[in-house]
Amino acid sequence: MALKALDIYKLLPKKNCKECGDPTCLTFAMKLAGGKADVDLCPYLDDQAKSVLGATTRPPIRLIKIGVGERSFAVGEEFVLYRHDKTFNHPPGILFKVSDTQEPEEITAVTIRVRDESFTRVGTDLRFNGIAIENASGSADAFARAVTTVEESADLPLVLISKNTEALNAALVQVGSYQPLIHAATKENFRELCALAKKHSCPLVIKAHDLDDLTGLAKDCVTEGVKKLVMDISPQSPGDFITTSTALRQLAITRQSPDLGYPVFLDATHPHLKDAAIALGIVKYASVIITPPLSPASAKAALTLRQNIYTDPQKPIQMNPGLYRVGTPGKDAPVLLTVNFSLTFFTLEGYLESTRIPCFMLIVDTEGLSVLTAVAAGKLNETLVRDSIRKFDVEHEVSHKTLIIPGYSAPLSGRIEEATGWKVMVGPRDAAEIGEFLHEEWKKHES
Amino acid sequence: MGYDLHFGWTGAIGKVVLGATRADGGTRKISYPIGGETTLPLLFKDPLSPTPLVALEICDNPEYWSPIIRNFCGDLVDTVDEWAKTAETVYGADLVRLYLTSTRQRNFSDIASVGKTLEAVLSATALPLIIEGSNEPGIDSEVFLKCGETAQGEKLLLGTAESGRYRSIAAAALAYNHSLIAQSPIDVNLAKQLNILLREIGVQRDHIMIDPYTGTLGYGFEYSYSAMERIRFSALKGDTDLAMPIICSAIDSLTIKEVREAEPALQDEMAVRWEFYTGIAAAAAGAEIICVRHPKTVGVLKNAFASMKSGAGFSEGK
Repeated sequence: MALKALDIYKLLPKKNCKECGDPTCLTFAMKLAGGKADVDLCPYLDDQAKSVLGATTRPPIRLIKIGVGERSFAVGEEFVLYRHDKTFNHPPGILFKVSDTQEPEEITAVTIRVRDESFTRVGTDLRFNGIAIENASGSADAFARAVTTVEESADLPLVLISKNTEALNAALVQVGSYQPLIHAATKENFRELCALAKKHSCPLVIKAHDLDDLTGLAKDCVTEGVKKLVMDISPQSPGDFITTSTALRQLAITRQSPDLGYPVFLDATHPHLKDAAIALGIVKYASVIITPPLSPASAKAALTLRQNIYTDPQKPIQMNPGLYRVGTPGKDAPVLLTVNFSLTFFTLEGYLESTRIPCFMLIVDTEGLSVLTAVAAGKLNETLVRDSIRKFDVEHEVSHKTLIIPGYSAPLSGRIEEATGWKVMVGPRDAAEIGEFLHEEWKKHES
Repeated sequence: MGYDLHFGWTGAIGKVVLGATRADGGTRKISYPIGGETTLPLLFKDPLSPTPLVALEICDNPEYWSPIIRNFCGDLVDTVDEWAKTAETVYGADLVRLYLTSTRQRNFSDIASVGKTLEAVLSATALPLIIEGSNEPGIDSEVFLKCGETAQGEKLLLGTAESGRYRSIAAAALAYNHSLIAQSPIDVNLAKQLNILLREIGVQRDHIMIDPYTGTLGYGFEYSYSAMERIRFSALKGDTDLAMPIICSAIDSLTIKEVREAEPALQDEMAVRWEFYTGIAAAAAGAEIICVRHPKTVGVLKNAFASMKSGAGFSEGK
């Protein structure tokens, strides 16, 4: 049952001490009511008030942070089953797995790859998130050595995977203060692992084969004092993963089973199914995914899918308006106008690059609307074009006054000519045809 | 735990039958009843969901096709019936989608050749077929009628109807009892509108597949993904005008920068992974037929779909 902000406020200390990070108790109460804050952030609540507020106010899926420093990442705090209902908030961390039976050089190479590799799309750097180290040897010493090898090359978030509590202990002595994710507590060993997790205040994966067992295990761990949990539903197949994670997400966000309100862990290391598992994990609610190092092609596809699915559907991604160069354009290079919807920008930029004709792209601020919608909504108009030409000093960049506009903005061509004094050429509707257009129409115009 | 994977849905996806066997008056080796879901995609508990099908796209004039495919397949792409045969015998596709790109040449008028091409493909492969007709309103009617007539009794899927031009294709589908693809630009309401237009001129629901238009990964895929989820959600909520199975074809996959400009040694792998990730995610959003152009994508997608229910050793990573 959800409580109203004012009901919650009555239970708070009303000290406005700001220790929860909010300026007043009332704003904290409003956050709690919206499921956007955790009641534990208030240091002055007594146990009775906590139990009243308890699970009804915290986010239906808890926010769990893994690692420390610049590359640390947080997962969870999700509210919906479909991204179109609002948005997905925290993209899953994807970590490459190494084993303590590998040579140190191999482990270092994977670590350095995750540390350094990045791939830029739509103005954002896409990266893998960390390293999962498996204690395949069974030896505590070998595990601690492997963990140290990783740690020496990079400050990356880690997952420590072992069935052996001694080995986990040995590794945590080395890296416990960096808040690695510990994998995994089961019905059999949860007391020992909770003790370890508590000692180092690390997040802990709990693992069971069905949701009843997971619910029980989560309750047991919370009783032991560990609240930073991640759930491994140990699926039997990719289909089993989707089925169980969909059920879990549904039960958690509706608060039918508040004890299931934690992010989901997915082991995608199956040799033939890893790409399928990663893709399904990204779209269907996995928050921590471990995989062997991916081929360059799989790596790009996986990171791009993650970026797509975790794009906020409420906001179109926007480019900064301005004059962009493709190649090294000279004073006589063509100037192509388009909108600041990033998909439009990158699609056009890609085709322009392959024409090998250096040119300028004049990107105007349509608040992220596409050409068609910006024309329909009147956001793309002659005033905006005139002001943009001035603002970005286009007249000093080129020695001509000819502007190529997108095919769908053809109805504006006359008005743009009047307002700017530039000659307008109407380009193709489809960016794919821009090469042909530049080679034929622009060349004809030049000669 | 007693959890309900039906989420209280009231609707179900209708079935469209593609391909007719001899028993049904056709010559295909198999007939697919597509659709019929009663809950979200890929939930394999009972089993609740059918396995998505994979179609290999080919064409009868490879000038209009990605050079990546010619590099991979060689001269095979110059002989459309041989190409269609390999889709079945070498690559193991469930369906063949033939684009009649020959009709896209300027002033194309050799309608009889369309019939011959289709006859050759029908005898080269026994798989059910999807046929993409012309791109030119002026010849649509003749092209679609020729296809419909040549493959009478085979239960084709004809493509592609759009809100501005659907009459010719609907006429051919109605006259020869084929189904058709209704494509709308990434919008649940426009998809519904087109289905209503088609219904008003007599096309039955069980003869329509929805194509919500798929932008490939990195090029608008998130919009297509959500359009598919919304279509499926509305259908399960009981909107019968959207309760048709979905076909997805990310035709840009081979022309985007990441694939086009990949190092030559990596290009095939990049094309396959791009189509694969797009296809798997589309299936999770509700697509029942995934169309691909790189022959190697067929096998990896089919393996993934086949192991959805039983990925032996999946959780142990073995």
